[in-house]
Amino acid sequence: MLNLGLLRPELILSGLALAVMLADMVLPPTRSRWLYHLAWISAAVVLALVVCALAQPASRGTGSLWVVDSFGQFFKMTTLLASVLCLLLSLDYQALPSRHAGTFAALMLFSTAGLMYLVSASDLTLVFVSLELVSISSFVLAGFERSNPKSNEGAMKYFLFGAFSSAIMVFGISLYFGAVGTTKLAPGPAAPGPMLLLALVLIFLGFGFKASLAPMHFWAPDAYEGAPIPVTTFLSIAPKLATFAVLLRVYGTIFPAAQYGLQALVGLISVLTMTVGNFTAFFQNDVKRLLAYSSIAQAGYLLIGLAVGTPMGLEGVMLYAFIYVAMNIGVFAVTQAVGEEGGYGLDAFDGLSKRSLGLALVMTFCLLSLAGIPPLAGFMGKLYIFSSAIEAGRYWLAVAGVLNSVASVYFYFRIVDRMFFRAPSADGSPLRVGPYIYGGLAVAVAGVLFFGVYPEPLIAGVSASAHLLP
Amino acid sequence: MLSLITWAPLAGALIILMLPKEKVQTIQTAAFLAAAISLAASLAMIASFDRGTAAMQFVERWIWIPSLNVQYVLGVDGLSSPLVLLTAFMSVIALVGSLGIKERVKEYFFWFLVLESGMLGVFAALDLVLFYVFWELTLVPMYFLIGVWGGPKKEFAAIKFFLYTLSGSVFMLLSILAVYFKSLPHTFDMLELMKTQSAWDPRFQILVFLGFYFGMAIKIPAFPFHTWLPLAHVEAPTPISVILAAVLLKMGVYGLMRIAYGITPLGFAWFLPALITIAVINIVYGALCAMAQTDMKKMVAYSSVNHMGYCLLGIAGMSATGFSGAVLQMVNHGIITGALFLLVGVVYDRAHTRDISAFGGLAVKLPVYSGLMAMTCFASLGLPGLAGFISEFMCFLGAFPAWKWQTTVSVLGIIATAAFFLRMLQKVFLGAFNEKWAGMQDMTVRELVCVVPLALVTVWFGVYPKWPLDLINATIVHMLGK
Repeated sequence: MLNLGLLRPELILSGLALAVMLADMVLPPTRSRWLYHLAWISAAVVLALVVCALAQPASRGTGSLWVVDSFGQFFKMTTLLASVLCLLLSLDYQALPSRHAGTFAALMLFSTAGLMYLVSASDLTLVFVSLELVSISSFVLAGFERSNPKSNEGAMKYFLFGAFSSAIMVFGISLYFGAVGTTKLAPGPAAPGPMLLLALVLIFLGFGFKASLAPMHFWAPDAYEGAPIPVTTFLSIAPKLATFAVLLRVYGTIFPAAQYGLQALVGLISVLTMTVGNFTAFFQNDVKRLLAYSSIAQAGYLLIGLAVGTPMGLEGVMLYAFIYVAMNIGVFAVTQAVGEEGGYGLDAFDGLSKRSLGLALVMTFCLLSLAGIPPLAGFMGKLYIFSSAIEAGRYWLAVAGVLNSVASVYFYFRIVDRMFFRAPSADGSPLRVGPYIYGGLAVAVAGVLFFGVYPEPLIAGVSASAHLLP
Repeated sequence: MLSLITWAPLAGALIILMLPKEKVQTIQTAAFLAAAISLAASLAMIASFDRGTAAMQFVERWIWIPSLNVQYVLGVDGLSSPLVLLTAFMSVIALVGSLGIKERVKEYFFWFLVLESGMLGVFAALDLVLFYVFWELTLVPMYFLIGVWGGPKKEFAAIKFFLYTLSGSVFMLLSILAVYFKSLPHTFDMLELMKTQSAWDPRFQILVFLGFYFGMAIKIPAFPFHTWLPLAHVEAPTPISVILAAVLLKMGVYGLMRIAYGITPLGFAWFLPALITIAVINIVYGALCAMAQTDMKKMVAYSSVNHMGYCLLGIAGMSATGFSGAVLQMVNHGIITGALFLLVGVVYDRAHTRDISAFGGLAVKLPVYSGLMAMTCFASLGLPGLAGFISEFMCFLGAFPAWKWQTTVSVLGIIATAAFFLRMLQKVFLGAFNEKWAGMQDMTVRELVCVVPLALVTVWFGVYPKWPLDLINATIVHMLGK
């Protein structure tokens, strides 16, 4: 059964993305900011559609290559939310060339649409096609600052690594087809042959590239450093979380990692990812790179939920994913405000508390939340994920998780140290902050504080959404 | 009642955040009002506290996160109520001491009040998640208070304090989660867990205890986890050293008695031989380290290690006398060491040095100061008639029946304690007057307002310890009776 109606939000978003692209040709360059507005409103409208559809059972069901369930809808919401916020942040980003505003906005929307297809995919062909849609638009976005050599370098590395991992994934998919006889993702034989196992591992590694799991993370710091910062923000949130959605779908329910003996591998990658992320972050002096390693480490925590594989682990990943959007938006929005004036070196943060105390406090709260210090939302997310590990008796995952959280405080507080303990290097006047950055900060602070103090609505929402259709 | 005590400082902090930073006096007034509300409410709570029962009093219970069965439960008994009062009291004293802070006043009082809320919450919380949240809530303000307003090595001291204590408390978190999943139905409620723990096997209890102990021991600080303390105490500004010594260290001992002993008694019993050894090391080694210091503040910091050893000694005795002694010792140490830090701060403000050998004959020039300092030192080294003696004596008395030779060795520690305090008194206040300090003034009114109330309490508890002991007694008997 085709059931194309299930994909209505994705189709509308793709159509709107094309409309933005066409509008770029019609509008005079002086009006190019309209295109950003058009883009974020499009994403917001689709977000509203997805939210409204939650209450309608008819919005869920199984199609030929796709399946729409409340789990997928949840991740579509996080993707769209991130997309709206990043487009808003782009409005306050000066370094973007105004000539290509339409291209930029449309590529963001295409990337978002690709991620939405990805979380609904129930067939490896759709998985691959949507991943390529995401990847190709992100390659262009990462290299958008054409005159900046770092942007070019980052985009090039991103592209080469991406092509490499796509090849691995395609190889995995072909092995899968050979083993099962179809590309449909459906529960396989109880006793898998070596070919199927190899296929599953290769496909996992392909996903690992997108989610920047160690050892497939090498592209991330360079791409993050070079990309325009709204794109960095987007890359650090949306593709990562959507990839986790499809990882959970494939390795959480269809081919449960425990049943296929992959649990140890997933656990190992999880510990490796957070350790590599945290300990490499110690030595970074560029904030974008530091945050890139931070987001690698965060992926490691998320992966604990998958390695555990219980319903609580699944809910933990969803909970943490949602909170992750808020805290990362906050951190990157402040970095954007600071970086536009003083560059992205750590020293740009010197004495921020004396210049703009509010901004420094927001940054501190978001960093503390990333480190998992109560009473902020990040703590609740980590509490849930570590709980799932303890519940399942996988203590070493929880121990690795908490030790890494302690280590992460060290580099997060290198920024705090500079904001509060150093004297401002420049004149010490308050930082100029654009109105849209304020919007992003408001969302971040509201999320980080409210869900930290009262996480119940979010937990209830996650438990209600944690249903996957076969 | 307890919610008012706990949240009043935080409300004050939020109000301060909204005030413009130029209005220093308004900010100070707001901070005082908030802390005073807390103190008044805790005095009222003590006044209506029923001393005859061991049950939790002033209990407030709300559902917080139903999905995880996390509740907002506050309550106090004889173990926690003296500490709540101590916290509220010492916070007001430290606020008076903070009036000397001149830079970034707004931020200072904001963090201070957040810290106070966290500390009060730790002693009032009866749900493990709530407890953990409050426990961690003290870390961040302390980081900033040391790191911004501290001494020369403040940044390093701040991050070392933060990372050190955090690495301990995350293991506590794992233990909390472990007992949550062990209990049926899953609960974080301390009182429920204390009832159900008897069904758990010893191996599990020992593992969980070690997790708890690791978190608490760093806070106490128990040897060998004490290395953060001298640095943090010395680098912190005076009022914050007072809070660190008077309240933050108590969180560790309180947690050990309430949680580690209450929830995993078998693990606790298994650990006793190690605990008594650690207590002895804390006492003797702490005293010897203090003796080797030339910096007065560092000496007082090491004397805290020594005094916390007495608390551990009393606890390890597993007797009502020892437990009561430990609780009383916490209160007394808070008051006495708080006063010591304030007094060291007084001389540092004038001389900008704390080197013991830099002074001499100060008693001639500063009679009031010398008198108060001498009295506080005597109280700290356990002179009969002053508060420190009663509690230290009770700790020894409680521990002796169970641990004869360890207690004997510890008593020798008292001699070392006396030695370093007397040596300091002699070098600073007696002997030939160092003419370099000819222009030094005696204590100002603000400094007297800080120290005199503490001195009065020291004498009061030294002469009439029945009042605090009655408060503690019923609970301790109940704790050991089960």
